Amino acid sequence: MSRRKRMLENLEQDIREHIAIETQDNIDRGMAPEEARFAAIRKFGNVRRATEETREVWSFVWLEQLLQDVRFALRTLRKNPGFAFSAVVILALGISANVIVFGVLDGLILRPLDLPHAEQVMTLQPQHGGPFLSFPEMRDVRDGNSVFSAVAAIEIQEFGLEANGATRSVWGCEASGEYFELVGIKPFLGRLLQRADDDHPGASEAAVISYSAWKSDFGANPNIVGTSIRIDKHAYTIVGVTPEGFYGTEKMALPDIFVPMANQASLDGVSWLESRGYHSLFSVVRIKDGVSRPQVLAELKTIVARMAREHPKEEEGLALKLARPGLAGDFIGGPARGFLAGVMALAGIVLLAACANLGSLFAARTADRTREIAIRMAIGSSRWRILRSVLIEAFVISIFGGACACVLSWMSLDGLSSWHPPTRFPIKFLVVPHPSLILMAFLLSLLAGILFGVMPLRQIFKTDPNEAIKSGGSQASPGRRWALRDALLAAQIALCCVTVTAAFVSLRGLSRAVTMDLGFNPKNAVRYQFDLSQAGYTADTVTDHFQRQMLEKVLQIPGVQAAGYANTTPLSLDASNTAIFSEQTVEFRPSNEAFDAYFYYVSPGYLAAAGTALLAGRDVSFSDTADTPAVAVVNQEFARRLFHTENAVGRYFKNRSGVSIQIVGIMADGKYFTLSEDPEAAAFYPISRKGDTKTSLIVRSQRDTGDMVAAIRDVVHELDPAVPIRESGTWSSQLSLSLFPSQVATVALGLFGAFGLLLSIVGTFGLASYTVSKRLRELSIRVALGAQARQILSTALGRMLIVLGSGSVVGIVLGVAASRLLSAIVYQASAQDPFVLAAVAFTVLLTGALSVAGPVRRALHIDPAQLLREQ
Amino acid sequence: MSTREQRERVELLQGTLDLLILRTLVRGPVHGHAIAKAIEFNSDDVLQVEQGSLYPALHRLIKRGWISVEDGTSENNRRAKFYRLTPKGRRQLAVETSKWDKLAGAIAQILRPAEREGGS
Repeated sequence: MSRRKRMLENLEQDIREHIAIETQDNIDRGMAPEEARFAAIRKFGNVRRATEETREVWSFVWLEQLLQDVRFALRTLRKNPGFAFSAVVILALGISANVIVFGVLDGLILRPLDLPHAEQVMTLQPQHGGPFLSFPEMRDVRDGNSVFSAVAAIEIQEFGLEANGATRSVWGCEASGEYFELVGIKPFLGRLLQRADDDHPGASEAAVISYSAWKSDFGANPNIVGTSIRIDKHAYTIVGVTPEGFYGTEKMALPDIFVPMANQASLDGVSWLESRGYHSLFSVVRIKDGVSRPQVLAELKTIVARMAREHPKEEEGLALKLARPGLAGDFIGGPARGFLAGVMALAGIVLLAACANLGSLFAARTADRTREIAIRMAIGSSRWRILRSVLIEAFVISIFGGACACVLSWMSLDGLSSWHPPTRFPIKFLVVPHPSLILMAFLLSLLAGILFGVMPLRQIFKTDPNEAIKSGGSQASPGRRWALRDALLAAQIALCCVTVTAAFVSLRGLSRAVTMDLGFNPKNAVRYQFDLSQAGYTADTVTDHFQRQMLEKVLQIPGVQAAGYANTTPLSLDASNTAIFSEQTVEFRPSNEAFDAYFYYVSPGYLAAAGTALLAGRDVSFSDTADTPAVAVVNQEFARRLFHTENAVGRYFKNRSGVSIQIVGIMADGKYFTLSEDPEAAAFYPISRKGDTKTSLIVRSQRDTGDMVAAIRDVVHELDPAVPIRESGTWSSQLSLSLFPSQVATVALGLFGAFGLLLSIVGTFGLASYTVSKRLRELSIRVALGAQARQILSTALGRMLIVLGSGSVVGIVLGVAASRLLSAIVYQASAQDPFVLAAVAFTVLLTGALSVAGPVRRALHIDPAQLLREQ
Repeated sequence: MSTREQRERVELLQGTLDLLILRTLVRGPVHGHAIAKAIEFNSDDVLQVEQGSLYPALHRLIKRGWISVEDGTSENNRRAKFYRLTPKGRRQLAVETSKWDKLAGAIAQILRPAEREGGS
């Protein structure tokens, strides 16, 4: 460096000397001093370039120039805050939208479970219907196969956990014997559950807690192993802690405690280990090394065929398939994959639109700089140098954009991963903002920025300094030809229209879902949920010993209009369905069943409390007991399917066990499992006939819900202080999980729609004001020559309007086509809805009008005298 | 500068300037302006050196160690930098010269038949 400094120290002076000698020579040859000096300088050539090139010889010149260019770029960007800001915002939003969506996609779907050889871990699920198996089915697969190294099942359950003298409701997992062997993790402390623990009911009271529970609920106690706890009043001993980062095999359900499945009867209050019809278990299997998928499927077929032969009553028609574990197999995984792929495509569209926008922004900017560039070229700057300064400007913008994108996506993903959806279920998004993802965001924005920064290069290389300076920056025939930026704008507007259409379609779907008839009225109702097995009650005793007294006391609370309870309520995810047979059926096998119906056990008064209309017949009553004939209240759909009429009171149907049940009432149809389901059959049985410890109490009143919730809590606690209440509050708020998919879709698509609009506003405004300012002189002359406002407008912005119009039309058509995909997620989403089409068209029109309003005003208010004076 | 002059003068090939500078310095240390003059003079003014491009070339040669630089006084008593051929530069000159000869020979060989055709 010092040598360099020494060498360059007197460079300017040397050159001056050189020119002085030449001048002297010229004078000696008889030239006039002035002339001699000019001749000398001419002969020397460009002093500045010579100096620069000499400096370059001494190396780090590129670095020096780079710094210089960066400083220059920063300065020019500061002088053009509008351009800089829009470019950075466009980049940041476009990139982060993609990174966020990809992060979710990656966390939920692409990334396998964090287990050794996760690719061998799969889940089995029935070909039709829900994702669950029953325990005997899992056992048949486990004991009769040669392709799996381990087969296990889990049941996610809520437990009342007593530790350190306090009882809390926690989410737990009943795991069958081979579960931990299958997942293949090493315990963080102690040991995990083994086959012996699950050998028979009561074989062991071992419990394993999760790392996060150990951390938060047990104070990270290193001597935790051996600690006694009570689960639902039963004594257990903590034998181990799972390693950090193990969240079970369902990505959206994170259990805090694992217990042997053999003990389920004592914990759940019902015994289902021998019940083939009790489908509630997630299965997990690990495929043996070197066994191919077709082999597995062939063997499954054999096993299922054997099951159907041996148990035709329950298993006829059963078919099992392999699915990826993590999201309830294909049950949630399928739609989630579809939806996320769709959103990813939308994010891609937004990125494309952002890039198009960036491209036209840079093109317009370069055109604005034509004069500056021409001057720089005229005074001897090399094209490479100018190109480099343009590149560096793009680079600086991409760095800023990239940094903003990184921060934005990191914060969003972080927020998302610590966010709990509005439900009591242990759902969590395991989306970790991976550094690689953030790096990708940064690189992506660099790439996009530089790519589109370089687009206007052609423009620069074509620039003829003479021409550019003469015409004062506005070229001879400005904007007469269709330029690249027009095409970019049209494409961008079309893409934005797609996102806007998608947003409106999902918004419309959501608003319909919110106002839809649910078959019950969650407004002005509070809902209480608890499981009395956690307080030591059994299904046989619970009605008489607790629930009836509770109902009577609640009905005495002033202001209560109606109250009732059920084992569970519609739309709370734990819906059960069962086969219904016509009365003539004698053989109760699946092929003979009439249809499946959702069923609930309800108390008298439940229908009134829930606001479900009883259309004919009577409500259930406490006098319907196990000793009286079986009765049910069914919905209209049930009656229609079985009897092809709704006049069904007094008629009979049969259940799977062949019991004849009389229909005593007809109630209105409703939604039972999801909002987007087709009309389903449902039957309500009297809860006094078959008790259930799971209790959902519904109370309807006009009083303030806060008061009501407190009053009911007092009643419950007065009856038995040991009852842990899982959930309480207004029924509407507890229903939010049902609206969750539509809400997520609407929020996501709404964001993309808003972003699309923003992009199109920026793009349109940018191009329109660019067009007007480019042609300001021409327009002024037209005004001076007496052109009318209409003529001025059509001259200035006519082409813009064509671009806008054609872009919008193409975009809306594309959007309508794409929105068909949405209907799987969002209830009743349809782009054929005239309301949606009108709203999209109106929005596009409005934003178009808004964004050209400024330039139009400018064009109309041209004062020719002033402008012509200036130029 | 008249157009006639421009047509008669030949622009320097890339890299040949280095060779010419080295050749000029064989006779002893010279300052920048004198190098330019010498090249023009020795080529009967056919080779036009854009004097400005001399300086980057000189510095390139210094950096490669083929020439060295020292302070001195010019003929009309001005302070100037004098450039001197180093032993390394002298060796390089031999290499470059033979390279140039080969190149010139080869080009001449290519051009000669064409000349004959044109002449006939």
